[in-house]
Amino acid sequence: MEIQHEAAFSAQVAAPPAAFADTVRKAARRLTPYLYLAPALIAIAVFVYLPLARTVQLSFYQGNLLNPTRLYVGFGNYQEILSSPIFHETLLHSALYLFFSLIGSVVVPVSLAFLTLQLTDREVDFYQSVLFVPTVVAFNVVVLIWAFFFLPTGGGLLNSFLALFGQPPNAWLKDPVWALPSIALIANWKLMGFHFLLAVAGLKAIPKEYLEAAYVDGAHGWSLLRRIVLPLFAPTGLFLIIITLITSLDAVFTPIRVLTEGGPNNATNNIMYAIYSEGFRFFRTGHAAAISVILIALFGGLIYWQYRLLDRRVVYDR
Amino acid sequence: MTVKARRAVWTSRFILILATLLVAVPLIYQLGISFKQPDEVFSSVLSPFTLNPTLRNYEVVIRSVPILTYLANSAAFSIGVTVGQILLAVPAAYAFSYFNFRFKNLLLALVLVSLMVPFVVTYIPNYLLLAQYKLINTLPGLILPMLGVSLGFGIFLLRQHFMSFQREIIEAAMIDGASSWQTLTWVVAPANISALSALAVYILINTWNQFIWPLLIGGGRPEAYTLTVGVQMYFTNPEGGNRWGSLMAASVLTSLPTIIAYLFMRKGILRTFTEGAVKG
Repeated sequence: MEIQHEAAFSAQVAAPPAAFADTVRKAARRLTPYLYLAPALIAIAVFVYLPLARTVQLSFYQGNLLNPTRLYVGFGNYQEILSSPIFHETLLHSALYLFFSLIGSVVVPVSLAFLTLQLTDREVDFYQSVLFVPTVVAFNVVVLIWAFFFLPTGGGLLNSFLALFGQPPNAWLKDPVWALPSIALIANWKLMGFHFLLAVAGLKAIPKEYLEAAYVDGAHGWSLLRRIVLPLFAPTGLFLIIITLITSLDAVFTPIRVLTEGGPNNATNNIMYAIYSEGFRFFRTGHAAAISVILIALFGGLIYWQYRLLDRRVVYDR
Repeated sequence: MTVKARRAVWTSRFILILATLLVAVPLIYQLGISFKQPDEVFSSVLSPFTLNPTLRNYEVVIRSVPILTYLANSAAFSIGVTVGQILLAVPAAYAFSYFNFRFKNLLLALVLVSLMVPFVVTYIPNYLLLAQYKLINTLPGLILPMLGVSLGFGIFLLRQHFMSFQREIIEAAMIDGASSWQTLTWVVAPANISALSALAVYILINTWNQFIWPLLIGGGRPEAYTLTVGVQMYFTNPEGGNRWGSLMAASVLTSLPTIIAYLFMRKGILRTFTEGAVKG
């Protein structure tokens, strides 16, 4: 047994004189890592990669949840979707959500993180801990309080507050203009604290000596921030931007499902929610699958980019 | 410190406190409304607090909703996924950190990329797969796909911890005649117990809070509702007029376990979330 492991650790060991028993032992030794990996890899293959393949297959069929391959239509689903004005609108809304998330889940938390530079660790720890609470509570459940905030009547919380300043009540989630920003606000409320945590961690990773040296050299305020902190913070910032772009459509999923179901009149729909509603509300699995493929094509570049970042950390760091 | 610098510190502090308050406001209202009398909800809508608090809303929820069933489902779902993911992730992370083998980089890449596939893309195929095996509205149907879909994170996180663990200790264990399995269960796993428990809490919280997936798989049978699904059904249930108080009570009850876990394991949880993303 020991031999087996030494070999496993010191990668390539010169092969001992060939004998049958040896060959068997060598084969077993080679197999060991795969045995450790097999259960996890099978789970991932069955529930992630197989579904991906199935999605591509289903996108060429017309069907529903009971009979997803009822009729082969070739690229019919793609043609219908790509030429549909509603889908174009859905794409535009997705872009709007991304825009709001870049503000609410990158600009805001990063700015707040920069403000912590002059404060003590203990104080920063307090802000982090409170701001993080929305991350650990069940989203669909906290969304209900936002339903109360955004009640369309004059008695709703936000409308009552605005009435103090003489503003007329607004329908918020039922208003085609305000519905999307309201949903985006809820999602960013949920994500902001997490991203603040990441931003602060990124800042803390900057060696104190750099800051002190720059300070001694006479860099203060803006110049310190712009010349020293910002460049050193850039990798974290980039990482935040990418995960925001990847997760922001997912982040609005729950509020859309609970509060608007994509309405009013498609105003809060986005490409991810469209997949869900095509499949589980309108029972058009072919359409849902085709939109999934389009989503992956659109996000593939981003996903690859994030993978490269993650991969660099994983493989080459230590 | 100069006056100017001190003023800058206070400005920063003021903005951060304001942001913290703004984020906390919805949660404060949620808690406050859950203790309000029904007629107070709208009569003093701007105030989150009430002068005569009541537990009536909690009573209503507990009496009108089979909350213990939902609680049991949520617990079984979360614990099942957590135990399953840990059992799968530990050996996989071990193999990725201590062995050299062909296809290692390729397999690791497949694990990492699996994390980035949007969950929504897998809903329909996984639903169809479960339907094929008659697992819709069952606990195994809820748990099984979650073992694959978000497993990559655990493998990634544990691998980072395993790799930073002293290689000499492991080699010493090997020289002492421990098999690789013994090394894992006697040396590596116990030495990384804090990372393992932080990961477990992370998975527990995330699974507990899952909503769309349990709604799709368990939403067809009230006996299979998790707490999150149960609250949603209570919310959309058309009967009853002003139920904001009991709704907020239901959501407080649902959030309580994760909040308590957070209060007790705050440091570990914050570290796990950070390490998963930034440090690596």
